[in-house]
Amino acid sequence: MRRAAILGTAAVPVRKYQRKASEPIQTVEHEMIARLVVEAMQDAQVEKSEVNAIVCAHPRPYTKQKYFSTFMAHYLRLPCSGVVMETMGNGMTAALAFDKACDEILLGRAEVALAFGVNMEMSVTSAEHMKDSVRATGDVDFHSPSGLIPISWYAMDAVRYMHEYGATRAQLASVAVKNRAHAALNPLAQYRAPITLDEVLAQRPIVEPLGLYEVPPRGDGAACLVIVSEARAKASGLPYVLVRGRGFFHEGAHQISEVPNDMIRFVAAETAGRLAYEAAGIGPGDLDLAELYAPCTIVEVLAGEALGLAPRGQGAAAAAAGETRLGGRIPISTSGGLTSRGHPSYATPLYGMVELAEQLRGRAGARQVEDAELGLSSNELGNYNAALVHVLEARR
Amino acid sequence: MSGIEEMERIDVDRVRSYPPRTSEFTQPFWEALAAGRLQTTRCAACGALSFPPKPVCPHCWHGEVRWTPLQPLGRLYSWTRVHAGPEMFAAELPYEVGIVDLDAGLRLALRLVAVPGREFAPDMPVRLVVLRFRDGPLLAAMLR
Repeated sequence: MRRAAILGTAAVPVRKYQRKASEPIQTVEHEMIARLVVEAMQDAQVEKSEVNAIVCAHPRPYTKQKYFSTFMAHYLRLPCSGVVMETMGNGMTAALAFDKACDEILLGRAEVALAFGVNMEMSVTSAEHMKDSVRATGDVDFHSPSGLIPISWYAMDAVRYMHEYGATRAQLASVAVKNRAHAALNPLAQYRAPITLDEVLAQRPIVEPLGLYEVPPRGDGAACLVIVSEARAKASGLPYVLVRGRGFFHEGAHQISEVPNDMIRFVAAETAGRLAYEAAGIGPGDLDLAELYAPCTIVEVLAGEALGLAPRGQGAAAAAAGETRLGGRIPISTSGGLTSRGHPSYATPLYGMVELAEQLRGRAGARQVEDAELGLSSNELGNYNAALVHVLEARR
Repeated sequence: MSGIEEMERIDVDRVRSYPPRTSEFTQPFWEALAAGRLQTTRCAACGALSFPPKPVCPHCWHGEVRWTPLQPLGRLYSWTRVHAGPEMFAAELPYEVGIVDLDAGLRLALRLVAVPGREFAPDMPVRLVVLRFRDGPLLAAMLR
């Protein structure tokens, strides 16, 4: 059985890179990606001639260059008989790039595949940007006209969760404090100055009950992974990260199920997680860390519960008790997560993979989880209506 | 059908910020809504209700559906107050949206209309109302 592994990684710190069109000097995405590809290939010590597939996260519409994957095949003079393509799936976009690059390895079409993505949006204001994003997270004729925005769904998760389980605002807010503490140790993070619980609770409301520090910041970013076959990884003699299990589930609902259900039980994460654990032959208790795609504090809590990292209804209390901090029972989002590492949306899942690869290769410096062997990545779209989960294993 | 309540119609003196489209198929929904009646499609084969209305049954994929009136009553499943919104909604900020479980067993997401002095909370009983904008109707919910 063929298996895929991460052998090389590169990413730029999340921040504002994109400049207004009126500025004389612009940031150009393909230059950024070209540098990262070379850097990731040096990290993997792989020859250019070995690369046989490119899977790229579809860039934002604010990236001027279109058909980015095929353009990059030329920019880097990279002929391939594996696939050259872009993926799209809302927040899951870059996770699909990783997943499809792994597929090229599993199918035997490539021994080495590149998965990369760039997200540039910071020249566009939030109000302008949301004009487009309301089209992505609801029925444009039956939801968007009422003013539902992407994070309003998460806010309603929070209200329901607090109502059903008696979780407190402070417990939810503790997730943001924890993530910032992690980000303080991560050079790739966008927001690194430590914050207190009082500061999180004092922020202006964005979508009640969530305030500014509990919803995702916006940012630009780019990352590249070198994915190789297990045999090629072994032959390298380098530490590598084996993709040991994978699960995907779409619950057949987008944002909301018109058949009333338990909305805050993230069934997609639960099912995809179970499939990934089964494929890996492990359970959640075997994990050393998890990197969760969680745009808001509440999402980390609910995804964590669905993935078996905390009992149902106790995820917020577990976070407040420090169980998900570095040094805690199960560190979650040691990168700083979406709220502090940053959320360059169409590249975000690749940043999660970069963090896990750093941790599982023992390169995470001050935020290193001691003896990290098994890590979990979970990515989503909608209101976690679909989840893509990977279990990664350290090999050194 | 008897026993189905008409919805209160509340005039709003401006146009909708993000108007929905009407298709030939959804036209009966929007026309009934303008007249204060809530209706959606029910599968002619399995009897399941859909929302939004659909020309095929999403459950059994049968191709024949019928318009069915709905009692505009239910409970608030969850809600939020939006303080930062897209450009086209800027003039309305902050505003409330919610998820309502109708007594008929359908879940909807829609705009909420605040009642002064009463804060929203999950499980509160609500009634659906029609916001009558200058350019057409939108469905909303109010506390009962």
